[in-house]
Amino acid sequence: MSEIRTISDVEFGEELPIYTPDTSLDAVRPFAIAIGWSTGRGGRFDDHDAARREGLPGALVPGIMAMGFLTTVIHRWSPAARVDKIDTVFRAPLIADEIAHVGAVVTDIDEDTGEAELDLTVKNDRDETRVFGTARISLPLS
Amino acid sequence: MVDIDELKERFLNLEFDRKDFTLDPERMITVARQCGETRPEYVDAEHPEFQALPSVIASLASGRHLPIEFPKLGGIPMDGGKAVERHAPVRPRVTLNGRTHLHEIYAKQGRSGRMLFMVSRMEIYDAAGTHLATSDSRMVVRERPTEQDDREQQA
Repeated sequence: MSEIRTISDVEFGEELPIYTPDTSLDAVRPFAIAIGWSTGRGGRFDDHDAARREGLPGALVPGIMAMGFLTTVIHRWSPAARVDKIDTVFRAPLIADEIAHVGAVVTDIDEDTGEAELDLTVKNDRDETRVFGTARISLPLS
Repeated sequence: MVDIDELKERFLNLEFDRKDFTLDPERMITVARQCGETRPEYVDAEHPEFQALPSVIASLASGRHLPIEFPKLGGIPMDGGKAVERHAPVRPRVTLNGRTHLHEIYAKQGRSGRMLFMVSRMEIYDAAGTHLATSDSRMVVRERPTEQDDREQQA
């Protein structure tokens, strides 16, 4: 696949290469600290046992970290794409230390404005959708 | 059950919170790196286009989630999702002002009862009043039936 540099390089229905991010506690913990979610949340982002004591299935990957994975999958596919809008639905918990598959598909292209729409998904290893959403991106016209 | 139309009439589009933020470049880089980001405009504070990822913008929390007079709906609010729309780059070390209002209120009927959705919208401005970004936070509450609802269901 050639590099996506302009809107004319984008194909309708194109599936972006799947990105498998680091969802380990060692990756989630610094993220939670950086956004100020490391205290007062009962260890739900950095300790599986503490999260289970709260009734959760395990320590969680924050929803906005999943949003970051979805932004990354777009940026990796096209170094020229700018994410103008991203809308994510946190359908079910994404558990730390579980494999996540982050994907996207092109659903609309406007060659006049340089904009494209994508459907986004984060699935676990059982092919269950945990987060889904849409993005509007823009690319150079030429 | 709560009257959705009444809630909309009372609370939609009325600003209920203002809060200032200043983004720390190191924290912005940590967020970007932990998401797997490698573009220099997100992971290099010296890059001329260095700016916040949407996830950083989504992490900005208003002082209140809902207006002070908003009725208690019974269940525990869950984070149903977030959206970020970028209008201009959001930079570190500058004062940002977040102005929050309720943008949408709606309900969905599930098998186990009604779910209420409240979309809280924060519009983020810089000191010059430029609208830099819009961040939506979707709260979901499973509505707890009132005693009157129970009586009506039994009748």
